[in-house]
Amino acid sequence: MRRLVLLSLIASLPACEPKQREMSIPFTVEFNGQVLRCDDSATVSLSDLRLFVHDVEFRDASGAAVTGQLVRDGTWQSRQVAMLDLETGTGACDDGTLPVNDALQVSIPGDVSPETMKGLGFTLGVPFELNHDDPLKAAPPLDDSSMHWHWRSGYKFLRAGVETADDGFWLHLGSTACRGTTGNISGCDQPNRVRVELAGFRPGHDGVVIDIGRLFDGIDLEDGIRSDCSSGPTEPACPDVLSAFGLGESDGELSRGVFTARPLELASTR
Amino acid sequence: MKRLLLLALPIVAIGLWFLYPRPYDWGLSDGDPVPEVPENNPMSTAKVELGRHLFYDTRLSINGAFSCASCHIQSLAFTDGRARSVGATGETHPRSAMSLVNTAFASRLTWANSLTASLEDQALTPLFGDNPIEMGLAGREDQLTRLFTDDPVYARLFVDAFPKQQRPGTIINMVRAISAFTRSIVSFRSPYDAYLDGDTTAISEAAKRGEALFFSERAECFHCHGGFNFTDSTTHRDARVERVGYHNTGLYNLGNTGAYPPDNPGLIDITGKRRDMGKFRAPTLRNIAVTAPYMHDGSIATLGEVIDHYARGGRLIEEGPNAGDGNVSPFKSEFVRGFELSDAEKRELLAFLESLTDDAALTDPRWSSPWVGQTASGNEDRSTSQVE
Repeated sequence: MRRLVLLSLIASLPACEPKQREMSIPFTVEFNGQVLRCDDSATVSLSDLRLFVHDVEFRDASGAAVTGQLVRDGTWQSRQVAMLDLETGTGACDDGTLPVNDALQVSIPGDVSPETMKGLGFTLGVPFELNHDDPLKAAPPLDDSSMHWHWRSGYKFLRAGVETADDGFWLHLGSTACRGTTGNISGCDQPNRVRVELAGFRPGHDGVVIDIGRLFDGIDLEDGIRSDCSSGPTEPACPDVLSAFGLGESDGELSRGVFTARPLELASTR
Repeated sequence: MKRLLLLALPIVAIGLWFLYPRPYDWGLSDGDPVPEVPENNPMSTAKVELGRHLFYDTRLSINGAFSCASCHIQSLAFTDGRARSVGATGETHPRSAMSLVNTAFASRLTWANSLTASLEDQALTPLFGDNPIEMGLAGREDQLTRLFTDDPVYARLFVDAFPKQQRPGTIINMVRAISAFTRSIVSFRSPYDAYLDGDTTAISEAAKRGEALFFSERAECFHCHGGFNFTDSTTHRDARVERVGYHNTGLYNLGNTGAYPPDNPGLIDITGKRRDMGKFRAPTLRNIAVTAPYMHDGSIATLGEVIDHYARGGRLIEEGPNAGDGNVSPFKSEFVRGFELSDAEKRELLAFLESLTDDAALTDPRWSSPWVGQTASGNEDRSTSQVE
């Protein structure tokens, strides 16, 4: 009997790990539909864009969710969370870092055809279970100290910024109003994780565009007054920016189309 | 046989004395409170010595021009004399550098962050934070660990401080050593301490009258600045309860809405709770006479004016973006009610506050720069250069 159990266990092993197919999901950045780079000679230039993403899902032909498992690479992605870095560390991004990571690497079950899949979903942010651990002991990509947010006892989920000739704006998004003390956080009243769903997304054919112009739509970038938002409750510039993600006092819906799906061939010709 | 045993006993005893870990010597007197120490960062003389080198080393900054000591100057009770501190790259911090003397007894660190309960957590913000940049070390971990391994002084100090580790020159150990050094800065050697210990001539008669005022229900000072460290956010090794307190002192009342300036709203920035508008932690009053300017944003220049602010029961700002009467703020602490004080009484209260200055702490060589005249690479003092 025992041998039978053992044999059946061995027989079932391959079934536990069906062949996975790896896929890449590219990300690009724009400002109101125009290409945006760290080039500080442009009218508007990128000054920062780094973000964490987790819980990646596609939809199959029947509309059922297909998990896009993050592929661990020891630098940008663990199984739980991935970091995207779309700034080059040059020009207006000189406070950033040279390495760039502009695509998510995910794997889907080999028996699901990518051609039949539609739709992409992901969550902007670090999962709560990882967000409040000791960052000095964290595994990649959470070991990147530029994403640590010690005084808020978590991580910056997104750091995004632009510069104009004599003005600029930056956003640090992450959980706020957390309860307890660092190392013993029981929860946060403003988790500020953003679920993004791109219904028409075709894996293999489309990329994700992040339009910072739409995110900073309510910010005057020509009045010469530099401002910023650290997701705090009393910061004057925060409500409008956070409302683009459906956060803060807003209705919980993503608005203004900060994230869109775009065919790769179109994205690459820009 | 008996004689052999008698001979062996002292040898065994001496051996045990060497092997047995002796408790860290805080340099405190009998009866002084002892700080609480995190289990994962026990105190040792070697670790404090490593921390002292790190604290005073400008190589721990984005541009080699800045150290912890740039904003925490010993002669000013480890404050910097500025209204708002300025980081390595010239960015101005919204708040004023706090004293580090006896910060080991603080139940929460910084002016208004209820999340930060240990020096180890707190150290990460000035070291790695970028809003504003203080030391600016984010992304420079490799450069630091190379320094700790390659520099002969650090190579030795890290091994001494963490003798059981194969490769001790790590970022975690850097943070632990700096925290241990900061924790070691404990002292109860002011004239007022001597007076409490029975030396009736240690403070002036005026200071004694000021003491009575300080602890009176009229001035109410002691409600928030009470206890052995003159702050209500205090804990220690043998404390039965940890006390945490934040207060709105009526310093601002923008447009009479109760609001504080948006770059410095207080505890509400952390908790998101409206009732926490303008609440800050009461700082220790030890060495308060040498830590001007005052309040979280350095907006009051002298100790006399601080007393005037509390006597009025809140500050009136007549014009400008911060205009408003703090006295009528809806968020103001019930203890800031205002009081009448004669000029003589004010001088007495000041005399009492001045008796809290602990000159021994401000000059103690255990907490001064170890680099003067003995660096590994040249003889410059690593601790003093500053960006203006």
